[in-house]
Amino acid sequence: MFLRKPFEKFLSLPLRAKFILSFLIVISFGGIISLVFGTRLEHRTIFNLAQAKVRHDLASAWMVYNEKLNDIRDIVRLNSARESIQRAIKINDKETLVKYLGRVAKDFDLDILTLTDAQGRVIIRARQPDISGDDQSQDPLVSRALKGDTVTGTQIIPREELIKEGEDLAERAYLRIIPTPKAEPRAEDHEEKGMMLKAAAPLADDEEGKIIGVLYGGILLNQNYEIVDRVREIVYKGEKYKGAEIGTATIFQNDLRISTNVKNVNGERAIGTLVSKEVHQAVLEEGKQWIAPAFVVNDWYITAYEPIKSIDDEIIGILYVGMLEKPYIDLRNNVMLNFTGMAVLCVILLLVILFFITSSIIHPLQNMVLATNKIAQGDLNHKVEINFRDEIGQLSQSFNQMTENLKMANENLIQWGKTLEKRVEERTKELRDTQDQLIQSEKMASLGKMAAGVAHEINNPLTSILINTHLMLEKIGKNPAFQESLALIADETQRCTNIVKGLLEYSRQNPPQKAYSNVNQIINRTLALLENQASFQNIRIVKNLDGHLPQIKLDKDKVKQVFWNLMINASEAMPNGGSLTIISQLSTDEKFIEIVFIDTGVGIPKEAMNKLFDPFYTTKTSGTGLGLAVSYGIINQHQGKIEVKSEVGQGSVFVVSLPINAQ
Amino acid sequence: MNKRKILVVDDEITVCKSICRAISSEEYEVDTALSGEEALKKDEQGKFDLVITDLMMPGISGLDLLSSLKEKRPEVMVIMVTGYPTIKTAVQSVRSGAFDYIPKPFTPAELRSLVSRAFKKIEVEEKAEKEPTPPKMPSGLYYMIGHTWLRKEPSGLASIGIVSDFLKPVGIITALKLPEKNESVTQGEECAKITDAENFNHRIWSPATGMVVEVNERLKEDFSLLRKDPYGQGWLFRIEPTNLEEDLKGLVVSK
Repeated sequence: MFLRKPFEKFLSLPLRAKFILSFLIVISFGGIISLVFGTRLEHRTIFNLAQAKVRHDLASAWMVYNEKLNDIRDIVRLNSARESIQRAIKINDKETLVKYLGRVAKDFDLDILTLTDAQGRVIIRARQPDISGDDQSQDPLVSRALKGDTVTGTQIIPREELIKEGEDLAERAYLRIIPTPKAEPRAEDHEEKGMMLKAAAPLADDEEGKIIGVLYGGILLNQNYEIVDRVREIVYKGEKYKGAEIGTATIFQNDLRISTNVKNVNGERAIGTLVSKEVHQAVLEEGKQWIAPAFVVNDWYITAYEPIKSIDDEIIGILYVGMLEKPYIDLRNNVMLNFTGMAVLCVILLLVILFFITSSIIHPLQNMVLATNKIAQGDLNHKVEINFRDEIGQLSQSFNQMTENLKMANENLIQWGKTLEKRVEERTKELRDTQDQLIQSEKMASLGKMAAGVAHEINNPLTSILINTHLMLEKIGKNPAFQESLALIADETQRCTNIVKGLLEYSRQNPPQKAYSNVNQIINRTLALLENQASFQNIRIVKNLDGHLPQIKLDKDKVKQVFWNLMINASEAMPNGGSLTIISQLSTDEKFIEIVFIDTGVGIPKEAMNKLFDPFYTTKTSGTGLGLAVSYGIINQHQGKIEVKSEVGQGSVFVVSLPINAQ
Repeated sequence: MNKRKILVVDDEITVCKSICRAISSEEYEVDTALSGEEALKKDEQGKFDLVITDLMMPGISGLDLLSSLKEKRPEVMVIMVTGYPTIKTAVQSVRSGAFDYIPKPFTPAELRSLVSRAFKKIEVEEKAEKEPTPPKMPSGLYYMIGHTWLRKEPSGLASIGIVSDFLKPVGIITALKLPEKNESVTQGEECAKITDAENFNHRIWSPATGMVVEVNERLKEDFSLLRKDPYGQGWLFRIEPTNLEEDLKGLVVSK
């Protein structure tokens, strides 16, 4: 629910922002997760590596430590077996012993070298020949050596013992404790005991094998840096990191640094400081090895601590090695930095790619939007650029198609608008023509009715005239005076009969009897009948008939009558010969069959044009004047039309149009 | 032998009289009637052998008169006088039992030929009552009764000929006029003419409308074919009919 508002905001962002934001969210999410896990993994790996290394270094440090111990043992044992020493003891030649022991101690850098008798009483000390006779048989090493063993060990030496061996030793051992925040505080503010590597060997009489004394020697570790520096040299080969020694080693006397190469802020060896509470707890009290990063004096180290035990297995000190943590931290930071840098670089790269991808999507869309706006403003010529064949490309194509159609429709509309006026004119003319035709047919129909009535009424008197004339001819026809007149009456009555017949023909109201027929065939049949007529002897007939005309429904006889009439009229218009061209063709709109009769006759005067199809209108001396009227009626019954064009002296053109799909 | 009795019926007295004059002779006794009603009344008083009646009359029309007369006396001969527009009705009247019809206007000779043929037919029929009956009309043909026949050919054409009944009263044929090829013939109008020994011209009405496509040339040399084989070799001509279905409605089919 609380996400709704930001989500809605997100939805109304521009497309590009939406894309980039979405990608950023995904990338950041992935990046953070991989960064967190990567860092942890890397940290652990480096840490483990460092720990393993420091553990190994600790072992090396022990080796150095034990080596030193063994050195002391070897010196003590070697010298204890010397005949000169044994002989000097036997004869109590103190001078020789002092000289000898002093030389050995000096040669081998031993801080103490002391000889006791078989009871453990000191016979002679190398550096304090005057102090002797004290009992050392309680010393754990000496007591073991009196029993015949050569032993070594680390030992805490009290101040009074140190003083016995030499004032300078007591001085070296004395350390003022420097308080540090992490240390377990001590009650006293100084340390006066010393810690010593010590070895003791028995002196055995050669002949009897009886122990005649013990020789023991050792070095004081306090402020003796030989071991720690050697450890550093062997293990870390004196490597430095940004001016600081990488490796450090320290020997603790209990919790106190007595020998170290860890430096304090002043660049001095940081002796006199105490071990931290945790180490104190783990190593001194619990006797465990302790490996961990620790803050040593003033820097972080990866450290390893292990207890140093006395010969009696008491914990008396700590051996420590430590590696400066900084290189590892720096390494880690470096890796982290690289990792993060790479991640950032990736993000930037992705953003650039994303920018181009979104451009490739958004650019066509923007084009579309632009095109839509342009079209909305009426610019139908604008085309969307099509770059690729993807969905947007297809959309663009469809859009262009749509625009094209729209444009065409628009153009049609404009065109239509332009032609509308013309159409109206055309339609008005058609209407006028139709009206004219209607008037004409109405005229024809009423004339027809009248004609029928007249014909019927005239028929009866004609019958009487015809019968009586013939009867008179029969009776008095032999008299030439009457014969001629009566014959004339009979002939003229016959002519009346024909006129009436024509009238009736014209007025005949019974519908045409239509059947599918071939117009060309009707033309040919009519021509065949006419060619023998006298009026056709001087006329050249040209036929141009379309052989592919469809059959249409018509009354063959009536249509033939029309053709007959038109051809007779044409022939009569050319008394001195000429040519009659007959054409059959499809009309341009393919809805009519047109039969065209072109003559080269006298032509029709303009004033006669309007009356041409009226009944009884004739320009000829003979004839009923019904031919064209009847023809007109017949074609009208076929839903067709007859049109005339004529030029006086040039000839006339009659066009009969018959509908292809007539009812 | 009694004189043949003729009744002329027409609503116009002039026409009536003219017809009377045209046919009056010593052989016939001619009477007139100016309406169908009068004609029926007169027929009741004295039976007529032949009635010549106009088709278009006020009151009882020619067709009504025909059916009334035929109902009472089937043997009576009736000639219908028609105006041009009623030609269909004329054909119809032949179907209804009229002997023949004649379109107005006509000459006395034309009417006389018809009358003569009518009476000759009566004679033939009177004789025939004693003699064996004449051959019936062959089946499958269409007839304009007493005049012509029509046969539908498989080619779509129609053959046209004269029925034997027509020829019997005519007697010896001296001339035969047939239509020309490509000429049009119209149903109910003249298509051929036969001239007999007495110089009477007998007009033959076409049973259908169409264009003549073939004429029986053999017939021109040998008129006897008409009598010997009137429904076969005696055919007159063949037409390409314009609207046969419509024309056939006016004809009778023989069973």
